[in-house]
Amino acid sequence: MPADLRLMIPTTPNVEPDDRKLVETIRSGDADAFETLVRRKTTKVYALCYRIIGNAEDAKDISQLVFLKLWENLGKYDPQYTFDTWLYRMVTNVAIDFMRNKQSRENAVNSNLRLVRTAADAEQGVVVQRKEIENVFNDIANVLSPKQKTIFVMNQMEDLPSAQIAKILGCRESTVRNHLFNARKLMQEQLQKRYPEYAQLWRDK
Amino acid sequence: MIHCESFRTRFGVNADDPAVLEHLRACDRCLDFAAQQDPDVMFRALGGAEMMPPGGVDAFVDDVMTQVRVRSAEDTVHARPEQHWARRLAIAATIAAGVTGAAFFYSSDSTITPAVSRPVAAVATKTFATKPVVESYESQNATIVEVPGEEAGNDDVKIVMIFDENLPADL
Repeated sequence: MPADLRLMIPTTPNVEPDDRKLVETIRSGDADAFETLVRRKTTKVYALCYRIIGNAEDAKDISQLVFLKLWENLGKYDPQYTFDTWLYRMVTNVAIDFMRNKQSRENAVNSNLRLVRTAADAEQGVVVQRKEIENVFNDIANVLSPKQKTIFVMNQMEDLPSAQIAKILGCRESTVRNHLFNARKLMQEQLQKRYPEYAQLWRDK
Repeated sequence: MIHCESFRTRFGVNADDPAVLEHLRACDRCLDFAAQQDPDVMFRALGGAEMMPPGGVDAFVDDVMTQVRVRSAEDTVHARPEQHWARRLAIAATIAAGVTGAAFFYSSDSTITPAVSRPVAAVATKTFATKPVVESYESQNATIVEVPGEEAGNDDVKIVMIFDENLPADL
């Protein structure tokens, strides 16, 4: 292909504006741009809320609340920081508040989610199944404090490094590591107590 | 995505490798293998991405945008009293200035000529002559009250009151 023709080909066709540009557009009064932002972030925000809260309907409500707060506070966003970090901070604050209120209302660990394993399963040993892992997690993670659970979810499921979690939560990295250590310990204790078949996996560790 | 063999080789080296985690979250057999090797990955296998809220993303976004529009409309309504307040202040200032001016005018005038000697009708005529006369008025925002004449059988409108925020304050 001749060089002059090659130059005419756009190098970045149909590239969506990055988050910062999108925020600038919203600030200039474009509500459609906000819809684009909501659509772009829905799965991430919802997933984090769901993992922290453990209930689909509550997670949906809290996610919507997060986006409304985002709309109201978008003027406070400082573009020199990563948008996702700022958004995650909002998500964790709202979700942790919700969990604290919920805990004070219930003030008890819900143990109704105990799984029933069949004899056939027992014979076969532990076969790890994703849906079951999810149920086990939702069940035993109730013993964690809202902050411990948030840190565990962000590190183990969202794959965020402790440094970024510290930025999001506005605390020191060592605090994040302590919370993570304690969360793992509590989870293992609960697993031992309530799901010994899975706890065996930790036996030699 | 990497293959199972590659996963099992790389898993022991770096369980945090994004490619390893991607495979872990997709392959059941390798999840079992990984959970035996390192139980910590059991909950890690759940991952966090690509979860949809109940009802789907479109319905979720529609709900959010509806609430955003409602809140924006509420904010506009709540912002209006401030405009009324400013407008009222402007009207009050105009009236105060008018009253002060008139008081000053009459007080300075009375030192020259006694008030009793002034013909009242002439003063009233002079006052009305300076005001614009509204022959017809149309506005979607105005409330117009028409008061018929006091004499029986007289359909002519005698007094018309127009309440409209868009009218100039001195009309």
